[in-house]
Amino acid sequence: MTSNGVGRYFRNIKEAVATIFEGMSVTFSHLVRKPYTIQYPDRVPVRVQDTLPFRYRGILEVDLEICTGCLACERACPIDCIVIEAPKDPQTKEMILKRFDIDIAKCMYCGLCSEVCPTGSIHHTREFEGADFSLESMVRRFVKEPVVAYKVKKDGEPDPRIAPILERGLRYIEEFAQPVDMKKVSPAEKTAA
Amino acid sequence: MSLAGFEVEVQRDGDEGLTTEEMTLNMGPQHPSTHGVLRFIVKADGEVMRTAIPDIGYLHRSIEKIAEKVGYHGFMPYTDRVDYVSAMQCNQGWAMVCEKIAGIEVPRRGEFCRVIASELGRIASHLLSVGTMVMDIGGYTPFLHALREREKVNNLLEELCGARLTFNYMRIGGVAWDLPAGFAEKVTAFLDQFEPLIDEYNDLISYNKIYVERLANVGVVSVQDAIDYNLVGPNLRGSGFKYDVRRDEPYSVYGELEFDVPVGTGEMGTLGDCFDRYMVRIKEMRESCKIVRQCLRMMPPGPVLAKVPRKLKPPVGDAYIRVEGSRGDMGWYVVSDGSEFPYRTKIRTGSFAAMSIIDKVSRGLMIADLVALIASFDVVAPEVDR
Amino acid sequence: MQAFVDRLITDGWFSGIPVELVYVLVMFLFGAIVVFAFVMPLVPLTVWLERRVWSRIQSRVGPNRVGPQGVLQGIADGIKNLLKEDIIPDAADRPLFAFAPYLVVWGFVATFVVIPFSSALIIADLNVGILYLTAVTALVVVGVLMAGWASNNKWSLIGGIRSAAQIVSYEIPAGLAILPPVLLAGTLSMQGIIHAQGWAPWDWFLFYNPFTFVSAVVFYVAALAEGNRTPFDLPEAESELVAGFATEYSGMRFALFFLAEWGNLYVIGAVVATLFLGGWQVPVWTDNVVLLNLSQFVVFFLKAYFWAFVAMWIRATLPRVRVDQLMSLCWKYLVPIGFTNLIGTAVWMVIWPQGNRVVQFGMCLLALAILVQFFRRVRFHLRRAKPELYYSPAI
Repeated sequence: MTSNGVGRYFRNIKEAVATIFEGMSVTFSHLVRKPYTIQYPDRVPVRVQDTLPFRYRGILEVDLEICTGCLACERACPIDCIVIEAPKDPQTKEMILKRFDIDIAKCMYCGLCSEVCPTGSIHHTREFEGADFSLESMVRRFVKEPVVAYKVKKDGEPDPRIAPILERGLRYIEEFAQPVDMKKVSPAEKTAA
Repeated sequence: MSLAGFEVEVQRDGDEGLTTEEMTLNMGPQHPSTHGVLRFIVKADGEVMRTAIPDIGYLHRSIEKIAEKVGYHGFMPYTDRVDYVSAMQCNQGWAMVCEKIAGIEVPRRGEFCRVIASELGRIASHLLSVGTMVMDIGGYTPFLHALREREKVNNLLEELCGARLTFNYMRIGGVAWDLPAGFAEKVTAFLDQFEPLIDEYNDLISYNKIYVERLANVGVVSVQDAIDYNLVGPNLRGSGFKYDVRRDEPYSVYGELEFDVPVGTGEMGTLGDCFDRYMVRIKEMRESCKIVRQCLRMMPPGPVLAKVPRKLKPPVGDAYIRVEGSRGDMGWYVVSDGSEFPYRTKIRTGSFAAMSIIDKVSRGLMIADLVALIASFDVVAPEVDR
Repeated sequence: MQAFVDRLITDGWFSGIPVELVYVLVMFLFGAIVVFAFVMPLVPLTVWLERRVWSRIQSRVGPNRVGPQGVLQGIADGIKNLLKEDIIPDAADRPLFAFAPYLVVWGFVATFVVIPFSSALIIADLNVGILYLTAVTALVVVGVLMAGWASNNKWSLIGGIRSAAQIVSYEIPAGLAILPPVLLAGTLSMQGIIHAQGWAPWDWFLFYNPFTFVSAVVFYVAALAEGNRTPFDLPEAESELVAGFATEYSGMRFALFFLAEWGNLYVIGAVVATLFLGGWQVPVWTDNVVLLNLSQFVVFFLKAYFWAFVAMWIRATLPRVRVDQLMSLCWKYLVPIGFTNLIGTAVWMVIWPQGNRVVQFGMCLLALAILVQFFRRVRFHLRRAKPELYYSPAI
């Protein structure tokens, strides 16, 4: 694009004026549009945490009542932020949960631990406000005193205190996709449109 | 002679005794316009640059080495961090290379979910790239409009997988979550209101005379240079070469989808200048909208995840696949020695090659143009350093 | 003003003090009071308005927490800057570094001496009013160059030199664009130029003939360039040079640079309103002098602020031009157009010494047509995007 030539000169001026006019009309039209900002945390109609979707991967939480002590989450975590101590009681041969620590400063909120939990005991909440002043508060210790690990009952859970917790946990892990054995899938299904 | 610690070369110009000095400037790792932590050592003669030497490595996190410790499944969240601006395509790359080396098949609906997520991620990434480019040139408003649209895409992906930036959506063998209820309607509503906004964006800034004058004829990359320096993605297509991994080496279900591959046309200046690369990204956003609509129509019911052993032990060997990321062709290479941890992982990214051509293209440009040039190559630091 | 002081002297208030000294002291005192009473609240107001206008254009909210709707935000920023640590780099040139912000603020504050707020409210109606204004705003160049050099930082140096080149170059089109109204009014004095216009739009110099219309545009563009506003804000190009010449400054020194820039917006608006929009002229609607002056003050303020609003709007819309494009715009486009306007106006004055009413009305209609077309485009964009509308500026 050369600036030589009288025609080019006047066309430059005309293009400049025309495009600037158009651009300014777009920005003027924005003055009457609603801003997209959410005025967190106080000028919102509903608490932001309650507007988040169900699958939101916030800070981790453990429902110790339904933890079976299988250690699947500790093995699945790629960053080693879960530390569980679950020795077997020598007399009663039951698994005791002595320590269940999650370091939420290390956690990368990937969701691999909650995917493998059989009861949905470890799950992501919709809380994201975890900032604090001390590094020690970043380690969430979920075991207050040693408890016996949970055993999944075949005919549903009789205890009315644990049943709703288990139901919520199972609802959580139902969101995840259920893996299927591809050898059992028929070829017709594989090429369906 | 030194000025506050910088070394200055003194050149004597002819016999008149006129001394000119070349300034060595440090466009350091902390700078509002380098996209992430990149450093350039710029030797400039006044405003005109002689060389711009990139210095990389400020964001190196040994991601490839970490793969050897966490195993195949555990590496998936780390792939998000390879290019955190468009994380879905990185997830797909790792999932595909593991499936190739272990011989795993993905259910059909899972493939469609992957494509929808990838294309939505591509829209989000291009919005950010285009927005930051405009901001570097000085237009603050179009940047915020682009980010507003990106927020809407992030909201959709948050509903899908629970996170807004580091998705960890795909798994080896499929995807982790099926589409939630009402997702297709929300995506269609978003696309319906997004496509006119691309036109509005063009009206506001793309054809603005000042903007065009800043970008036209700046940083021209010829097709031969682009191929020699290994540019990929919109950088390559901006020079006129029509190559897209989705069309030329189709993977997943891209072979069944109809979409166009936009290339630069030199409409405002020379073929292969910054404006062409910018325009290619704008047009690609429209194509991604088309792809998402087709996928939503064509999706079959069924499972989305294949059963894969918890400790995946692929046979000894290696595998390489290509994915069309937002910044171009990403190559994923894994070497397996039969155990559950990979022996070596290698990721080849488009931004790394783009960094290497910046020195050549920036000769004779002004410092203000260097900013436009880096932005037009869409270099993101995490991809360069990994 | 002078009559008032004369009366005080004859009443015997300042016996024993030479008359000139009394004049000087009282004038200085009065000038200082005006500046501090008017300018100091004006700048936070402009800052707040700019941030709110910017935010609504960018689909966000802007400051709305400090005080009702955030009006005290500018004061909060000022207090914050005062409380910050005053960092002076070790290798910087201390006297120059410390002095540079004051030069820039002088260049800005000294213009308020000739701004005509109303028919009776002007600190000094110099008979070279507009020329004085142009001269004094050139002090800013010295300040910016000093800041760039004294910072001992290559990026600041580049910013300072760019700014000096820019301001000095754009003095020429600004000067050329001032000349047509001066020709038409026959005087350089600010009040004289306003008296030569009327209160109705068709009596303004803006619509007098096409040459003055273009001249207004040229002046506004040149004034924006002199004030370092986008699209000409290379010296502070955030994405390239961090903050250009002001990179090494912190705290109140930094705030002083930007105080001058935002206040300058108002001065640009005031000058455009004076030269082209008829200044404070209102139809004589009351015999009460105080009320009349008050209404004139309000009208002038609104006219000047409108142009400040347009400058903020332009800053939100347009990207930055590059240094060589800036120079080429000045010398290849604005200067020839400026000369054409000057010669055209002179020729017009020879042909129609009393002005051509038909052309004046025609120009008004043309401006109206441009406005109508503009609002049609705005409606088109709103129709196409179909957004959620929110008319109230309060949020």
